[in-house]
Amino acid sequence: MKAQPPEAAPPGDGTREVASTPILAASGIEKTFGRTRALQGADLKLWAGEVHGLLGANGAGKSTVSKVISGQIRRDAGSILWKGEPIELRTSHEAIRHGITMVMQETSLAPDLTVLENIFLAELGRPGFLSFGSMRKRAGQLLDTLGQREALPLDREVRAISPAQRQLVEIAKALALNSDLIIFDEPTASLSPTEVERLFEVMTKLKRAGHTLVFVSHRLEEVFAITDRVTILREGRTVANSVETSSLTQAEIIRFMVGQELKTIYSAHPEQGPTGLPAVLEVKHLRSAPLVHDVSFMVRRGEIAGLGGLVGAGRSETLEAIFGLRARQGGEIRLFGKPFNPGRPADAVRAGIGLIAEDRRVQGIVPDFSVRENLLLGHLAAHHGFGLSYKKRKAKVDELLTMLDLPAHRLLDANMLNFSGGMQQKVLIARWLLLEPSVLILDEPTKGVDIGTRSSIYSMLREIATKGVAVLVVSSDFEELLGLCQRIVVMSDGLSIADVPSAVLDEEKLTFFAAPRTSMKRNTEVLRELVRDLNGAGFWALIDAERLFCLNAVVSNERTDPGFQSGGTPRFSETRIPKALAARSNDFVREADRNLASLVVPVRSRLGHDMGWVGLILDGAAALPPAEPVRRRIETLFAQITSEGSQLPPTN
Amino acid sequence: MNALSADTSIFRSLAGRLEVRMLGLALLLGAILAVLSPHFLATGNLLNLLDQSVVVGIVAIGMTFVILIGGIDLSVGSIAGLTGVLLGLALQRFSIPVAIALAVLAGAGIGLISGFFIARFGLAAFVVTLGMMAICRSLAYICSGNTSISNLPAGLGNIVFTSVLGVPSNVLTLFVLYALAWCYLNYTKGGRTIYAIGSNREAARTAGLNVLAFSILPYIISGALSAVAITFASAEVMSIDPLAGTGLELDAIAAVVIGGASLFGGRGSIIGTLIGVFIMVMIRNGLNLMNVSPFWQGSAIGSVIIAAVLVERLLSSRSATR
Repeated sequence: MKAQPPEAAPPGDGTREVASTPILAASGIEKTFGRTRALQGADLKLWAGEVHGLLGANGAGKSTVSKVISGQIRRDAGSILWKGEPIELRTSHEAIRHGITMVMQETSLAPDLTVLENIFLAELGRPGFLSFGSMRKRAGQLLDTLGQREALPLDREVRAISPAQRQLVEIAKALALNSDLIIFDEPTASLSPTEVERLFEVMTKLKRAGHTLVFVSHRLEEVFAITDRVTILREGRTVANSVETSSLTQAEIIRFMVGQELKTIYSAHPEQGPTGLPAVLEVKHLRSAPLVHDVSFMVRRGEIAGLGGLVGAGRSETLEAIFGLRARQGGEIRLFGKPFNPGRPADAVRAGIGLIAEDRRVQGIVPDFSVRENLLLGHLAAHHGFGLSYKKRKAKVDELLTMLDLPAHRLLDANMLNFSGGMQQKVLIARWLLLEPSVLILDEPTKGVDIGTRSSIYSMLREIATKGVAVLVVSSDFEELLGLCQRIVVMSDGLSIADVPSAVLDEEKLTFFAAPRTSMKRNTEVLRELVRDLNGAGFWALIDAERLFCLNAVVSNERTDPGFQSGGTPRFSETRIPKALAARSNDFVREADRNLASLVVPVRSRLGHDMGWVGLILDGAAALPPAEPVRRRIETLFAQITSEGSQLPPTN
Repeated sequence: MNALSADTSIFRSLAGRLEVRMLGLALLLGAILAVLSPHFLATGNLLNLLDQSVVVGIVAIGMTFVILIGGIDLSVGSIAGLTGVLLGLALQRFSIPVAIALAVLAGAGIGLISGFFIARFGLAAFVVTLGMMAICRSLAYICSGNTSISNLPAGLGNIVFTSVLGVPSNVLTLFVLYALAWCYLNYTKGGRTIYAIGSNREAARTAGLNVLAFSILPYIISGALSAVAITFASAEVMSIDPLAGTGLELDAIAAVVIGGASLFGGRGSIIGTLIGVFIMVMIRNGLNLMNVSPFWQGSAIGSVIIAAVLVERLLSSRSATR
């Protein structure tokens, strides 16, 4: 260990309103599974009414601690004091009776029952008759306390609702049991940014109502956004015990988690990609029901391109359509300029495409195969002939092992599921490298991969790209996209809406681009109405330095076309209205040639969030309306939209 | 790694092999039977054991293929019945080899139909083969006119009673078929694809393997081998009955399960199946030798099936990470 982590602040020193005794104090918890020592002396102290972050790299023991506290796993050693009394939890049932519930990572709901039945699942097991009337009433009250009454249809089957709604059901279920302590295990893993925002609102409400919440996560931004204190685990031990979140920096937390200074996970901000090189994969107007409507993009030789967007935007489905896993209804795919129509994955593999799907267990690993055969599975598919010819690949396998940092004897391990998420992912990447693909597609490549291994996967991908492979990465983690990819194609509601070099982007702009198009409908209507009335053109955009990030553009009068479109990110000088953009004055600004006159107005949501700028472009030759009423009109219209369209992401 | 730990790891991996455990069980059973009945180890009886293994053994090969991809084939007994009748009819017109080839082709064709419906449309194997079971049995009655065919050419008996180096040809065929199946499953692209599909169909598809073709193939093999099995059965008794093969599917499934294969697919071995067949035949034979009423055989074999599955579950849950 090179850098010693800073001393953890003792719990409760100089902090506000801390009750003298914690509501829960677990100390010296130990747990061994088979030969793995999952916990070797973990401590956790929680105070009533706080949101407590439980952090750690993968395999640090976060989930195990949570499961011990919620009675799902029995500890081997250590003690737990609950409200000052020692307790012995043998089952999760006992924990629930004490008021401790865990909201599971993979939800534990019954998909064929309704939302209402799931909320009161525990009561279905009691003797006697059920009163659906009173259950309905109580469910309504519970959702009211969460402020989410409208968000959850009580009579819908759980199978039919979204992951975010399912989580809400889990929370309501915990409330129905009168839980004092609710443990959230990676609750944001499958949520889009707006849904995360809503979850945090719910968590804040719960906290105000006096519940204690544990937030298990490895997304640091979220930890800073929601938690009061954090406990950090490393290798089954507590390395930072109940430290105030505000007293820590991101770098310090990472140091606690990995035990050494990580300079940066991303080696450097990616340079502008190789622009001159030929496109390897081109996708034009791809359509694949039900989620992919119109997607176009291309990936060059030696480039890492990103496909960003929210969960449900159709990113994974786009990849599957390209790979032949999903039927296409329209559009064109070209590989090295030639039309490419994969009917099944085998066609894509033969053509030199590799896909690493999001869910390694479901779509990647063959559990009954040794690691070696898992590695050679792609070879098995690509290989023509009756036999196996595994030996033919021996040299290449050895070469890959060095790259993977995997000792050769582990290749014979019978069960790949015993490997860490990161190593599993590396083996799956190597499966394709064995075939020397020309296109490598990765869906959420670092999902469930700890921070330490992430950086080695990133450098592996860079090396692959340097060798001339076109790499396409889908990720919900915007930071990852920005750090890894040279260019990002943003998708929203099944449409590709922007294609931007990541050097000019940041997370905020990506979030705006990725917002669901459904929320743009009103916005477009408003813009259209405005420009029709005034016979001009209009746009909604973010502005940063000398660059415009156009979120929406509507042209009514061809002569007033501003020279950019929705999704475009031109420099001011590349538009037809550079002067107006630079000035952003209170009045109309005429361009040098006097052909166009534009008004650029800052807009805010009703809650006062900065929502970027709205521009109105009119024919400079015609008479201009007075600027002030037009400005007011734009401001009012936009404040309305943004308060209605709760889908729009807030910005800070 | 020192020598000691290398030794223990070899031991561990050997003991971990399904076949080794099953072989241990079979030898134990053999030893018990040898103690209980002095006739058990007589050469005549051992040959008899092998002879009794042939029909169910051959069908169990196909069943292993089917179960390895996570399917099940309930129609093998009825396919045997139908192809047996077809063999009998064909023997009236064609030479013996041609008639056998026709019967085997018919079996393969029936398997192809079942396999196609199961793999192409994602229907439940249980349901499709249950339907095929009823269809084939009914066709067997129709084609035979519900009478047994006994005027078979004398030459047919040769395929059973010829002996090569002292081994009867039907037993020899059994071993050759098992050897071929073992090689196929372990050393060919098709065999490993079958395992991969059974273990994780989605992963196999995503890796670019030909999931459709290799999901159908096991049913073809199963149908064809049912026909091969009934050919040997017919040659042995020199008579063909439309009822022949009834209950064969249960024996075959039992052998595969006793042999340690998982009904969820991906796990199992052809050697395990062969041992499973031997265990079943040994139990039957042992009970006969001890003059136990044949009505007890079902109870004994049923208990062994449940015990085998239980042992397998206990062993695998200890090593599983789930």
